[in-house]
Amino acid sequence: MTLDTLPDRRSRAPRRAAAPTELDRTSNALGPRPVLVLNNVTKTYPNGRNALKEVDLVVPEGDFVFLVGPSGAGKSTLMKLLIRDEVATEGTVYLDGDDLAKLPRRRVPKVRRKVGIVFQDFKLLPTKTVRENIAFALEVTGTSRHLIRPAVERVMALVGLTGQAAQYPHQLSGGEMQRTAIARALVHDPRIVIADEPTGNLDPLISWEIIQLLLRINELGVTVLMATHDADVVTALRKRVVALEDGHVMRDELGGGYHRRG
Amino acid sequence: MISFLAFSISRAWQSFWRNAAMSIAATATMTLMLLLLSGFWIVQAGLLAGLQFVEQKVQVVADLHDGASDSAISSLQMQIAAMPEVLSVDYVSKEQALARFQASRQAQGQEDLSGYLQVNPLPASLEVHLRKADDFDVVTTALRADPVVDRVKNIADLANRVATITDFLRTAGVGLLAIIGAIVLFIVINTIRLAVVGRSEEIEIMRLVGASDAFIRWPFVFEGAMVGLFGAAVTLAVLAGASQPLGQFMFDFFRILPFSVGSISRDVSVLVIGAGMGLGVLGAWISVRTYLIR
Repeated sequence: MTLDTLPDRRSRAPRRAAAPTELDRTSNALGPRPVLVLNNVTKTYPNGRNALKEVDLVVPEGDFVFLVGPSGAGKSTLMKLLIRDEVATEGTVYLDGDDLAKLPRRRVPKVRRKVGIVFQDFKLLPTKTVRENIAFALEVTGTSRHLIRPAVERVMALVGLTGQAAQYPHQLSGGEMQRTAIARALVHDPRIVIADEPTGNLDPLISWEIIQLLLRINELGVTVLMATHDADVVTALRKRVVALEDGHVMRDELGGGYHRRG
Repeated sequence: MISFLAFSISRAWQSFWRNAAMSIAATATMTLMLLLLSGFWIVQAGLLAGLQFVEQKVQVVADLHDGASDSAISSLQMQIAAMPEVLSVDYVSKEQALARFQASRQAQGQEDLSGYLQVNPLPASLEVHLRKADDFDVVTTALRADPVVDRVKNIADLANRVATITDFLRTAGVGLLAIIGAIVLFIVINTIRLAVVGRSEEIEIMRLVGASDAFIRWPFVFEGAMVGLFGAAVTLAVLAGASQPLGQFMFDFFRILPFSVGSISRDVSVLVIGAGMGLGVLGAWISVRTYLIR
């Protein structure tokens, strides 16, 4: 850890929640209840690679956080921990008050429904239309039919895809595909949307469209955590920036740019 | 629960047709494997029927004392016929024995020597047909114990040879069927596995949006069952089409065999449908499991 990152980290202290052990599911004296808390998290893969080292991170409800850092810095591992695709080797990860490591297997799907995930490669099913792709997320979680349709129409309107509802992914532009993926992530009314390089496959203009959409969703009260390489976007928006490097949180500052100051 | 079932089955149906190429490949493999399996089953059934026929040709012959009373003979006959090892008992009188002897001499084109005799030297006898050649010993002992019986021809050597050959063929047949069954199991499960792997992204998405294991697993299991059912249906259709000429051939070839086409076709239908469904379900279950244990 370098000296110039320390003031940044300290400056964020007031926004930080209390230590996770004192977490209360209902309230928090220091502000909104955090959606996400990582406490001293280390992740070592079976092959011995240390992907994350002693990471502390608190994301309060309604935050918009950019997760930046070079490839291999641990961004993907962090995301996998949040959806419990991986479990931390040390430390604890709390999502909406649940300790993910202690979560029984059968409750994992329920917790995943609190997280909406958006990928760089969209992960849409090619044999399903836009509407079906979005409805899929509700169908496979056992939502009853009469609730699915209005929920799907609502998120399609939100992302502006109502006109493309009956089209298949191969008929859509990249931006439309990503908006479909975002709609699918939103259809569960998640507590947090995690976007892993959502603009990585899009040209700059469309990227901005997607960012605007994520900002709008954030304004509606959904917490957004976005991993990105897009320096222009991060610097322009002046949101909270968490920089990972070699598994460490090197920087966590509000209104930061993509690159370290100084 | 019912809506879950409806969901799983309708999704299985939908994805079967939306991934038609893979589904048809899996169904074709399933059909070929079921044809192989049922073909061997039929050959095996024919073999067993043949062996049974050969075994029943083995008979124990007990010569009776000339002075034995009719009542003593018929009570012995009933006693032997009641034994579980015994298929049937025939009584051959002295006159019948002589007639047979004369007929066989004539058939061989040789002189009828019996004309030189004043009395009929041939004994009356009981011919005991066995269910299995193995059991000659029990029957022989029982016959020897009766005072009516003069002597029992020793057929140990013949019976043992027949038993050795039939036992070997039975074991070999069952062994071969087991090996083919294992191969079929392996190939079918792998084919279904390929079909599931081809849809790994779908499973991945289901996991990520928070689908529970049951919601991920059962559509695939039903789809596996569908592949099995369709495969079984095609197999049975092929077999039904082939059964007429095949049955005629078998009948001509094995005219003598106690070969019941009815019971074999019932067994084969049960085997084909059961194996098809079972393999489909098992294959899908195992294949999806790899994605769920994480």
